[in-house]
Amino acid sequence: MTIRPTEVPARATARPAGVFRRAWIHRADYLYVLPAIVVMLIVIAYPVYYTIELSFYNTPPSLQLRDKIFVGFDNYAIILGSDVFWQVTLNTFIWTIVSTGCAYILGLGCALCLHRAFPGRAVMRAILIIPWVISAVAAAYIWKWIYHSNFGVIGALLVELGFAGRPPNFIDSVNSVLPSLIVVNVWREFPFAMIMLAAGLQTVPDQLLRAAKVDGAGAWHSFWHVTFPHLRGVSIATILLLAVANFNSFIVTWIMTGGGPANASHIWITHIYEIAFGRQRWGIAAAYSVILFLIVMSLGYFYVRGLGGAEKEGGAS
Amino acid sequence: MSKIHLGCAVRRGVSTASIAAALAVWWPASAQSPVDLTKWSPEYVRSIAGTQEFDTAADCGKVTPLNYRGRVSFWYQGAFEGDPDLLRQYYRDFFATFRKTYPNIQLEDQALTYNDLLDKFRTALLGTAGPMVVRLQILGGVEFASKGYLQELKPEDIGYTAQDFWPGAMKSNMWKGKTYGIPTNNETMALIWNADLFKRAGLDPDKPPATWDDVVRYSKQIKEKTGIAGYGLVARKNAGNTPYRFMPQLWAYGGGVFDEASASPNYAQIQLNTAASKRALQASYDMYVRDKSVPVSALTNQQADNQPLFLAGQLAMMISHPSDYDVMLDLKKKATGSDAQTAQNVIDNMRYGLIPTGPDGKRAVVFGGSNMHILKPEYVDGGKVDQPAAKALVCFWTSPEWSLKMAYAGSNPGNLNGFKTKWMKERLENIKFLDVTTAMLPYGIPFPTIPETPEIMNIIVPDMLQNALTGTMSVDQAAEDAARKIRNVMSGGKL
Repeated sequence: MTIRPTEVPARATARPAGVFRRAWIHRADYLYVLPAIVVMLIVIAYPVYYTIELSFYNTPPSLQLRDKIFVGFDNYAIILGSDVFWQVTLNTFIWTIVSTGCAYILGLGCALCLHRAFPGRAVMRAILIIPWVISAVAAAYIWKWIYHSNFGVIGALLVELGFAGRPPNFIDSVNSVLPSLIVVNVWREFPFAMIMLAAGLQTVPDQLLRAAKVDGAGAWHSFWHVTFPHLRGVSIATILLLAVANFNSFIVTWIMTGGGPANASHIWITHIYEIAFGRQRWGIAAAYSVILFLIVMSLGYFYVRGLGGAEKEGGAS
Repeated sequence: MSKIHLGCAVRRGVSTASIAAALAVWWPASAQSPVDLTKWSPEYVRSIAGTQEFDTAADCGKVTPLNYRGRVSFWYQGAFEGDPDLLRQYYRDFFATFRKTYPNIQLEDQALTYNDLLDKFRTALLGTAGPMVVRLQILGGVEFASKGYLQELKPEDIGYTAQDFWPGAMKSNMWKGKTYGIPTNNETMALIWNADLFKRAGLDPDKPPATWDDVVRYSKQIKEKTGIAGYGLVARKNAGNTPYRFMPQLWAYGGGVFDEASASPNYAQIQLNTAASKRALQASYDMYVRDKSVPVSALTNQQADNQPLFLAGQLAMMISHPSDYDVMLDLKKKATGSDAQTAQNVIDNMRYGLIPTGPDGKRAVVFGGSNMHILKPEYVDGGKVDQPAAKALVCFWTSPEWSLKMAYAGSNPGNLNGFKTKWMKERLENIKFLDVTTAMLPYGIPFPTIPETPEIMNIIVPDMLQNALTGTMSVDQAAEDAARKIRNVMSGGKL
């Protein structure tokens, strides 16, 4: 192929082109990604648009969706004026923050333990990954029976060992249900954090750890001043991924309690499901989803920024 | 072997006269039912069993020729963990027989669980991807008929008459004077108790609690004397089992969601916050909170969770179908060692009786069951309904033969002629406690036939129970809160 040298300087010296002009110049590139863009518009953009549109309509149970009634921002007002919404919001934040934090800390601890070579490490790693790879539905049913207020394994053990007079009430009490479900969620998620952080630990330079040891740093100081700073990037990514997953976590809560008792374990996603599919208030559920969408998008924004910052930092070091 | 007394409670407590009296309470005189309900005593059922032969293929062949070539898609509530193996076998037999009878109809059937069916069906309809035929729980049909998803479908359209079905069941298919479905089966539950636990608690092992106040008292006594839960309260949300067990209690105390227990309900007045309704809720509160005499797990339990508790001898009373006896036998097969012995002891001591009355002698039970519907083409996947194929399927399931067989262990045939078949005679000999639930039929009260019923029964009523039982609200507050929510639902506005 022949390149005409005169064309290159001509482009380089041209005034900054408009968006459309640049798009036209790169039209061939766009053509290549067009199928992907069309698919994304259908499966992402349209549902988002439709959800936003639906959020401005009332959809009473006695009417078909096509007979929806325009109500402006009423659905948003109904949600924000509902006591249950605020209870569910508090549940959602407790659920997300505590689950994410605990899964991260437990995952980090396990990753550090498994980072050192010891006999049976591979087997231990495989065992620890099990909660993450088994079906969430199966896990939820198993935990429901483990927690069962009359026949649960934990309750029976506590009674048998003399720690309790009768089996504790885990998921049938408004006070203990959310912490009990968080334990299950952390159990399911920590292997993910462990894998991510174990990968991150491979990037910590060995010579730095040896130098710290030479300088007299103990295990804690080596971890805090050498290892942990190197895990910053992967930690941000892990925490944000966990947080987004927890905001959208549905299976454990729905199967184990259905959001009960008395809404004590409802989180946004289960509440939206109930409003939409159980009560057929598609409009209110859509408004609810828009709110959740904005929050998750914000998290996504920080995720991308966090990743960018970590990459810069990684590049600088 | 066992000391099971077949229908002993029935013979003691039910007479044709009492049935007639009960009917007078709830069945509207204006309905002019062509079915003489007063004669439907257990004795009458026994007298007609095995008196008539039916040829399903010949009958349905008149509706849709047996050589018809077509296709039908079908969703239904299948057997789930709480059902006996016997039912699973009949489901398999049904589909095999239909395919053999109509070899040129391509049947695409999909089974869903009770709690999932409504949600999935609604979602499919939004995407105009429904099946051609659906079998829905009795409380679901009106919702979809009112929204215009269903075709009109009368018994006459498939070769039967309205007189072949229970009037209450036909009513559950009516919306604005038109009929939208055919009943497949109808059920009323009964009280089940463990006579051995009654004895150990100092109660007469053959005398069930006569009133709901007695249930509260018995439950407390059993808990105090044996340490075992008395009554199997069920208060899980989004689970059909909850309203099926709480509504009989609510109606017996004279309460209701609306006036559905009255002779001519118009569903205009909310009654969930009346003194009578609050007394019913108070009874549940007393058992769960005050006496702690029911399983702590009641808030997350369904009936399927009560069954193993009962079989393990850890529950003295519960409300359920005759099929629970078969479920116990199935579960017992899985037990080993001393567990198997315990299970056998429970089965030997299993008794069935009428559901208790309220303080004023009012007895009530949910008139349950399922109906089959044909959808309008515009809501069906592919935009077409193969009418002859759809009608063949509906005719087949609602025939005397199959409406009986598909309800063999648990409920009653939707088609009243099912009672006359030889399989009914065989069933009366094989299925324990059938008399009791047959005897409960006249006390059956249908759920309100309004589109909002699924939300009220599956969410608002369980929410009310949970709010009261967890102490989140007082009994008064929980009842008032539920009434407010129903007002909101009926006005189509707030949550």
